[in-house]
Amino acid sequence: MGVTFKNLGILLVALIASGTWLGTSWGDGSPPTFPPVSNKTVSTECSACHMAYPAGLLPARSWMRMMRELENHFGEDASLSPEETLTISRYLQDNAADSARANDRMRRIAGGIASNAAPLRFTETAYFGYLHDEVPAYVWKRAKIGSRANCIACHTRAETGSFVEREIKIPKD
Amino acid sequence: MTRLFLLSGLAMLSAAAAAETPQQVLAAYQQQAGSASASRGEKFFFAKVPQANGETAGCTSCHTDNPKSVGKTRAHKSIEPLAPIANRERFTDPAKVEKWFKRNCKDVLERECTVQEKADFVAFLISVK
Repeated sequence: MGVTFKNLGILLVALIASGTWLGTSWGDGSPPTFPPVSNKTVSTECSACHMAYPAGLLPARSWMRMMRELENHFGEDASLSPEETLTISRYLQDNAADSARANDRMRRIAGGIASNAAPLRFTETAYFGYLHDEVPAYVWKRAKIGSRANCIACHTRAETGSFVEREIKIPKD
Repeated sequence: MTRLFLLSGLAMLSAAAAAETPQQVLAAYQQQAGSASASRGEKFFFAKVPQANGETAGCTSCHTDNPKSVGKTRAHKSIEPLAPIANRERFTDPAKVEKWFKRNCKDVLERECTVQEKADFVAFLISVK
């Protein structure tokens, strides 16, 4: 067992194989946690002021309430044309946390919301609270974060629908 | 392959034809208003308007006081500059211009903007060099 070209070759092949295996495991190959918006009208209109949040973050009744109140959308006028409103409402309803397309995590979000409640902020759901309870108040106030609505500040690949732990990078300021 | 190039070239041409220039957008407002004044638009842009909550707000709250700068929404997303000299897309889609006048005028002024205000505002931003 000396250092021969054959042994080096075997080592190289083994390294490449394990590298490929590691690189494609741990979620990279599996579907994203919360699939990003796949409808063009929805992604354009809903990302004008903030990230286009995945429809699977809230149940259909929350989205319907939001779409009815767009003239006062968290204090701002976000009104849309009737055609845009219809397209977006349909998409949100079809892909909501309590829709037929929901995955396990979305069902957990929906399951944690009282049936008579229709929260407008995902950040006010029990699911969000449970997963962010270790983030102290002063961290949320950092300039580069600023708001709980700013997913991408820490979840570096949020826009691809991926929220896995190893991709989190909390800004220092 | 050549056909593909031709087709994509045609597609780009037709997209360019559908868009307008900031000057055309200004001309349309100016025609309705009768005039357009960049200096009135400048005052409008920098105005601080008292809000119901006791604070003041204005265009500069989100767009910063430099129209060539990138602004920031309340949800911390960046806003491309307002001045066409810093942002070639600005004022090239009349429907988009109307949509944002409607929203932002209501947010800041609690009413729609007049055609005069829109004409002045666009005139000011085009005048920024």
